[in-house]
Amino acid sequence: MKALLATVISLGLTTVVIGNAYYQKKQFYPSIVYLTNSNPSMAVMYLQAFILVLLVGKLLRKIFFGQLRPAEFEHLIERSWYAITETCLAFTVFRDDFNPKFIALFTLLLFLKAFHWLAEDRVDYMERSPVIGLLFHVRILTLLMLLAHADSYFIHHAYQFTASKGPSVQLVFGFEYSILIIMIVNILIKYVLHAIDSRWEAPWESKAAVLLYTELAINFLKVLLYIGFVAVMVRIYTLPLFAFRPMYETMRSFKKAYNDVVLSRRAIRNMNTLYPDATPAELAAADNECIICREEMHTGAKKLPCNHIFHAACLRLWFQRQQTCPTCRLNVLRAPAPEAAAGPAPAPAPGLAPHAPHAAPAPPPPGPPPPPFPNMPPPPPMMAWGMPPPPPPRPANLASLTTAELQRMEGNERRNIEARLQLLREIQSMLDASVLLMQQYSTVVANLPQNNATVSTQTETRIEELNTASTVPTAPSPVKTEPDVVPTTSSYKQPAPTPSTSKTIDDPSPMQPDTTTPVDTNRDKTDVDAADELRRRRLQKFAMDK
Amino acid sequence: MAGSALRRLMAEYKQLTINPPEGIIAGPINEENFFEWEALITGPEGTCFEGGIFPAKLVFPPDYPLSPPKMQFICEMFHPNIYSDGRVCISILHAPGDDPMGYESSAERWSPVQSVEKILLSVVSMLAEPNDESGANVDAAKMWREDRDQFNKIAERLVRKTLGLPPP
Repeated sequence: MKALLATVISLGLTTVVIGNAYYQKKQFYPSIVYLTNSNPSMAVMYLQAFILVLLVGKLLRKIFFGQLRPAEFEHLIERSWYAITETCLAFTVFRDDFNPKFIALFTLLLFLKAFHWLAEDRVDYMERSPVIGLLFHVRILTLLMLLAHADSYFIHHAYQFTASKGPSVQLVFGFEYSILIIMIVNILIKYVLHAIDSRWEAPWESKAAVLLYTELAINFLKVLLYIGFVAVMVRIYTLPLFAFRPMYETMRSFKKAYNDVVLSRRAIRNMNTLYPDATPAELAAADNECIICREEMHTGAKKLPCNHIFHAACLRLWFQRQQTCPTCRLNVLRAPAPEAAAGPAPAPAPGLAPHAPHAAPAPPPPGPPPPPFPNMPPPPPMMAWGMPPPPPPRPANLASLTTAELQRMEGNERRNIEARLQLLREIQSMLDASVLLMQQYSTVVANLPQNNATVSTQTETRIEELNTASTVPTAPSPVKTEPDVVPTTSSYKQPAPTPSTSKTIDDPSPMQPDTTTPVDTNRDKTDVDAADELRRRRLQKFAMDK
Repeated sequence: MAGSALRRLMAEYKQLTINPPEGIIAGPINEENFFEWEALITGPEGTCFEGGIFPAKLVFPPDYPLSPPKMQFICEMFHPNIYSDGRVCISILHAPGDDPMGYESSAERWSPVQSVEKILLSVVSMLAEPNDESGANVDAAKMWREDRDQFNKIAERLVRKTLGLPPP
């Protein structure tokens, strides 16, 4: 209503002014001269021109955008104010060649800018709207084409003008339109990505990454342009104050894009190295729904040290912001700390996970069993970290040696004692390695049926024994391992922490109770633990369902 | 396939429609824009807000659920944890990192596990049990602590107002 009133008033004023001029001078040329020489008349004409521009803008907006959403409108107004202020600042630099044509060019620039902003907002909206029709695509593509043509025309014009007549205000236009054409490229890339994404049925996982790198490249180009422009302006005119705010914002968004890329890369690296893929069995055991996107997980799911499972793509996006488990907020960077000392670990250490300490009641998983000790040749890839020391040389048959020979072998010089200490240290580190292995096992098995509780208890007992054994000076014997030994046959003293691996490959079914005779005393306790664990997990699941 | 934020919002909307929690209605204002919702929250029973129906607006960021939505009551509210313009100040609506009041541990902040339903349920329990230490509305917090009768009177007036009843 207000707009209509303003239009009518300005139209009326213009008619009056022109009528007055023609009435006084009677002829065309004298009237024009009169109009241009009279300041009030010129003011009315400027007002009329301004209103005309607004009307044309409204018409074009109707054609290309239809109704603007409130958010878009707000955005437009906000940016317009900044742009108008900066244009006024630019006027101060070029006050010498201030004339109507100059004002017209700046108005045109603002006008085109507004359409660039609207196009950008509209394309961003694509990702958010469930209803994108054919009309939308036609409108956006036509608009982008027209804007690109206009931009390139003005850049060309500014270039020609500057080349033939030396630097002038055309420098500013050339630069502004270059920024705008970069913006068009950015919008176009986003449009194509969103359009491809909307055609696909499945979520497109790498889209976020592509967008991120586009953002980085575009912002980099913009920053270069701004720096170049400021340098040129400083050389020829003065400091271009009007370019500072957009330059600062561009630099900030470039920095943000750069940080995002760094964080994203770190997240991807962590995901690929630290967290194992969730197996179909684990997916079936858990809820099978990714809590981040609320969609089913089929492939590409990752398991965190705390046993929570998510889509790899969802997790990556979250890790760009925060390195915690979305469900239990376990700090996933800090969690694998014990292994971090030994280099990048293939599996997370469960020792720090919330329920890992008694999450062991299950047999080792079916799958290639890692060797029980690091000195098993050949070292599998899993053991690439924490290179274990070579096994110490085994002593010959002691029974056949005389006491003197034994004494000579033992020795009591510094060299011998050092060697012995060295040996003990090596043993210590091998034991540490085996403890880590066991911890890995218990993470992996935490999701399997809980009725085989005894195996790990058995192995835990052994590890404890191992630890005590390592304090005995003549302990090279713990390295003597029998990897393929089956629990029933392995003697209680034998320090093999994975007594059932070979059995489990052939027979993943729950282990029979009779294989667990050595730990009968521990069984009751373990069962209680297992029941606790089960109840706790049910509660957790219940809470998550809620 | 639409954006992941949109898909998740659609899933949540569906879930809320099929299985609505008691005393809460929520959904997009306009089905063409799933990023602005309106919610109606009934005042919890046995509290001074009992019986009231409080309308609120939820605005979701483009990267939802990685960032929390914003929630604002669009009726007059007087509550220690609601700013005078209606914005709700509870910890699960704050992304970890920014802490406007300086007392929240990151354990109770936003994470993608949260959902519209959980937010609204938290708001219901916030209505029932204000946290007078956070103090988004200091006057309300003070009154809640020192002059409960006056607080209850104001709450009753607001309840009647949301129901379109004349003040008592």
